[in-house]
Amino acid sequence: MSDIISLNDQYKMKSGRSDTSNEVRENVFTDCKDAIVIKNLRKSYKDFTLNNISFNVPRGTIMGFVGENGAGKTTTIKAILDLIRIDGGEISILGSNARMLSNEMKAQIGVVFDGSNLHDNMNSKNINYVMKNIYPNWEEQIFNRYIKKLQLPEKKIIKEYSRGMKMKLSIAIALSHHSKLLILDEATSGLDPMVREEILDIFLEFIQNEENTILLSSHIISDIEKIADYVTFIHQGNIIFSESKDDLIYRHGVLHCRREDVAVIDSNFIVGIRENSFGAEVLIRNKDDFKRRYHQFNVEKTSIEEIMLLVSRGKERF
Amino acid sequence: MKGLILKDFINLKKNLKIFGVLTLLYGFMSYTSGDASFFSTIFTMLFAILTLSLYSYDEMAKWDGYAITMPISKENIVQGKYLMMILLTFIGAVFGFLFAALMYITAGMNSLLQSIESCGIGAAVVILFYSIALPFITKLGVEKARLIFFAVYMIPFAIIFLINKEIKAGKLVISDNFVELVNYLERYLGIIIPVVVLLALGISYTISLNIYRHKEF
Repeated sequence: MSDIISLNDQYKMKSGRSDTSNEVRENVFTDCKDAIVIKNLRKSYKDFTLNNISFNVPRGTIMGFVGENGAGKTTTIKAILDLIRIDGGEISILGSNARMLSNEMKAQIGVVFDGSNLHDNMNSKNINYVMKNIYPNWEEQIFNRYIKKLQLPEKKIIKEYSRGMKMKLSIAIALSHHSKLLILDEATSGLDPMVREEILDIFLEFIQNEENTILLSSHIISDIEKIADYVTFIHQGNIIFSESKDDLIYRHGVLHCRREDVAVIDSNFIVGIRENSFGAEVLIRNKDDFKRRYHQFNVEKTSIEEIMLLVSRGKERF
Repeated sequence: MKGLILKDFINLKKNLKIFGVLTLLYGFMSYTSGDASFFSTIFTMLFAILTLSLYSYDEMAKWDGYAITMPISKENIVQGKYLMMILLTFIGAVFGFLFAALMYITAGMNSLLQSIESCGIGAAVVILFYSIALPFITKLGVEKARLIFFAVYMIPFAIIFLINKEIKAGKLVISDNFVELVNYLERYLGIIIPVVVLLALGISYTISLNIYRHKEF
């Protein structure tokens, strides 16, 4: 039914723009140290390519890493964690080359994958015992506290855990060794809303310490919208934007108008258009400038989900 | 590393019951047949199979990709696996020997020296087998490497079978010099076997490590 058209396929969100909010953001990036820096990361598979992607995860923030299934989120995270060989580019974690992290550095990173990666016939007590002998900074008390808080059974083996329980256990592990950086790949996907809420609360608690950073990949945008400070959007192996969530929402707007009104609007303002039988929905960038120029239109607030949808569909079209 | 070894032993815990039953079963069979070396060999082999189980458990859990994100190096992970293989083979051999010793004391079966010899040779064969198999498992995973195991097992048998056939047919004549050489080497088996095993292990570990370093998870 709906038809989405982007009139501007050059959606330059990262560099070369002159609006003030972006300049402010650039300053913030250079002033604070980044927990993760990715420069020109390249990785080719037969049917998929990560295309020279670059973005930073500022320390002390939650970075939401969004994109549809197969966009390259997991590949990027695997590259960050040195689980795949990269074809080019550089990645640094907490100031060190990601390919040569010392064990001390690795001990400060908590990782949660989609799925538990733990052996089926172990229970949480066994896990504690194993991790105590792997992480030099393992805190048994913190782990046990999380196990209680998250209502995980001590004696039940992981095979009998539900998906939600497995994710909670992985998160408890990631948080029990004084991690400074959490890297989570689809940690909230496939969970019921109650568990997701519970897990998101734990992340918010973790980020209370200003030294701590989270990179959270998800295709559930509402989760990102709830907790992320920054959003990086990956689409077909390309980074479309990597920005402050508030800036994104502040700078963009949606206007509902008749189809013929679209022709009046300067195409530089238009990110994407969704047409339907009632008229058109237009996603506008530089909302304030637009409002000053076009008094006749009423621009409404937009969401990350809407921005992503219109940007990605628009890009596919052109 | 300690954590990795502990992880493996916890994973093997569920095999304890089966092992208890098998001990009784083979022990009884060995006792009634009057030959303790049968039991010793079986046990070394049984423990050897556990190494394969450990690889499958790790694969099923997709553990390795997770472990690499922990404060463990790729070298440590490969070392942990080789160490477990040697440990399990050693435990198997010791277990087999203890049984043989028990049989010797209670029923006067086989000599102790003979038992040590058969357990030692059993362990050497197992380690040699794994030295060939582990790089393949590291590269392909347990499932895909199965065909390779089959080949590793079958090729020596096939070669011996063919040589035997040729000799019987009179096409292949073994020279006296060769028989002499074999007899000569046999006297030094106590040195040759450990040297060959260590050499195979070293080469195998180096290859596996190299494969593991370039592996994607």
